Amino acid sequence: MKGHQRLRWERALDSEAIWPLMAGFGALYLAFFVGYPVIYNLIMSVQQVTLGNISTVFRPFVGLDNYRKLVDDPLFATVFQNTLIFVTGNVALQFLGGLALALFFQAAFPGAAFFRGMILAGWILPPLVIGAVWKWLLASDNGVINYALRGLGIVSGPIYWLSDPATSLIGVTFANVWFGVPFNMILLAAGLAGLPQDMYEAAALDGAGPVRRFFALTLPMLQPTIYALLALTTIYTMRAFDLIWTMTHGGPVDSSNIFPVWSYHLSFELFDFGGGAAVSTMMLVVVFIVALIYVRSVRTERVS
Amino acid sequence: MRREFLKQSVALGALAMLGGARSAAAADPVTMWHIFGAETEPGLKNITRWNETHPDQPIDQKFVPFGQLSQQLIKGIATGDVPDLITIDNPVVASFATQGALEDLTDLVKASSFIKPDEYYPGSWATTLWDGKQYAVPGEANTLALYYNADMFKARGLDPEAPPRTWEALRKAAEILTDKDKNVFGMAFCAIQSEEGTFQFLPFLQQSGATLKTLTSPDAVAALQLWTDFVAKGQASRDVLVKRQFEMTSSWLAGASGMVVSGPWELQRMKEVKFNWRVAPLPHREGKGIEASALGGYVWGVPKGARNKAAAFKVIEFMSEPAQMLQAWSGGRLAPVKTMQVEHPAMPEAYATFRKQMEVARPRGPHPRWPDISAAMQTAIQEALTGKSTPEAALQKASRVITPILDRTPIVGL
Repeated sequence: MKGHQRLRWERALDSEAIWPLMAGFGALYLAFFVGYPVIYNLIMSVQQVTLGNISTVFRPFVGLDNYRKLVDDPLFATVFQNTLIFVTGNVALQFLGGLALALFFQAAFPGAAFFRGMILAGWILPPLVIGAVWKWLLASDNGVINYALRGLGIVSGPIYWLSDPATSLIGVTFANVWFGVPFNMILLAAGLAGLPQDMYEAAALDGAGPVRRFFALTLPMLQPTIYALLALTTIYTMRAFDLIWTMTHGGPVDSSNIFPVWSYHLSFELFDFGGGAAVSTMMLVVVFIVALIYVRSVRTERVS
Repeated sequence: MRREFLKQSVALGALAMLGGARSAAAADPVTMWHIFGAETEPGLKNITRWNETHPDQPIDQKFVPFGQLSQQLIKGIATGDVPDLITIDNPVVASFATQGALEDLTDLVKASSFIKPDEYYPGSWATTLWDGKQYAVPGEANTLALYYNADMFKARGLDPEAPPRTWEALRKAAEILTDKDKNVFGMAFCAIQSEEGTFQFLPFLQQSGATLKTLTSPDAVAALQLWTDFVAKGQASRDVLVKRQFEMTSSWLAGASGMVVSGPWELQRMKEVKFNWRVAPLPHREGKGIEASALGGYVWGVPKGARNKAAAFKVIEFMSEPAQMLQAWSGGRLAPVKTMQVEHPAMPEAYATFRKQMEVARPRGPHPRWPDISAAMQTAIQEALTGKSTPEAALQKASRVITPILDRTPIVGL
């Protein structure tokens, strides 16, 4: 009896009749957990929101005023530029670092798997802790990094990593790259492990050296993984908040202020909820475009 | 202004769970969100006292880290899930009040036999009022003073019994204590791009003789010049721009600076200090003689929509009794009531100094747009200290933001 019932279940799950149900569930999930907050945020960004009316949906409509105010704010250009540098720097360096490590650990030396696992530890730590640790490392007077640089004779005086507006963005980028490299490494390592080995043997027989094999085989075959990774890293970096908040609070003089930090500052420190929502919406548009490019690139990949 | 530690949050998480479990069984609890992080917090002790004496209406408490307080309250208001009672950082009371987020407590306070406004420090009391109405009741107070390393004073030929009393003496001491070869700075303070930076700078602005309304005056410029010089001359670390108050105090504890501007909440950590230390009132500016310090601390508020306003106010009254209020000192903070004095305080000299500072501590605002005013001040401080602008130019820019705000809605008594 029991076996019979299970068979019926399996048949039901296999039948095409269940597809609408599955799709319906997916759509419902998306609408509730993704669509609702996005639309709620969008609505907030065109309203005048105060603590007094935040619990209702019907608030004074102000059109694009919140957006206009943001763009007119002298901070906008600074924050925009910072975000651009922070995201580009992170995506590039995290990818290169991750790729280098993944290739390195591909070599089967004793303990390779162990060390690769240990590197992942950095990614498990909460960003608040990473921020605090990097803040100590980068401290200008008694930080380890300056101590090392001076000890090696690379610099004569201290570098004011976080307290100099010219370098603070570099400082927080460093910390975030360190944070993101393990994730990049593990995805790329998984991608590398899935590549067919016989191709490499054939290429080696044909006389292709390691460099040639890397550019002619590894990179093209890894392409889907790389696209996915670049998209994911962009999205992750676009919402980096805790780390910068701990390290610099966006300062000095907003030199390490990026969109998520600004959004938080507007909403929760200045009580400008409409402005904060507008910043979030702008970030969302960027993330959406990145996701779209990724999805399209994966699609053309399949067709070809 | 308090420091928060992960360690403390973890310890408190465990405590909060215990407390929550106990009160869950009770009939009609008063819900409270508070910032009492460490196990040793007097606030927690007072909650336990209430629960012991009021078994029919215990407090159902939840810890919220100081830095997340506004955020949590805003979320609570947005989702309609607010507690009956909450601790609020005093400079944001006016913002919450004008936006209709707090219950009006005017009548309850007037009728109260425990809470007598004229017994409170005027600065503390002022932070709870807006537009003639009472929106909160001071819970505790803190202020700033100058901690200094007495051993370092002696070693450098300064008299540890005569801490700097004027700006000129402060400049001199900072210069003498600075030892570039050993990476020791004479002076330390907090100029971070957050409320903490404003909190620390305002006393110096007030000592100069200027106010937020006269930011372009030579007096205001002199105050910012004082800070700028410390950094420019290498007598204070440039890291004052990104380090929080507790981080600057940590550096001082490690011997990286001779003096640091900080508050009584740090006294907990002083028990383990290896060197002789003292704490002195902040100096005043020669020729002006104005004593001024900062005023921090939380206040009790009842969020709009709270279920149990009457019971919440009973808790406020209970917490305002001397037996509870005077506990504050054991957590390194002061009772906001000047008529209340701890009889045999631990660290009596520090207690006397901080009480003296309370007499001259001035509130931030109160003003509903205090966060905007503060943000403009932070930018000015940071622009001057990084050398991006001169103090004059930086303050002129801040004034262009702050003056219209104050013209529209003035600060009472400014």
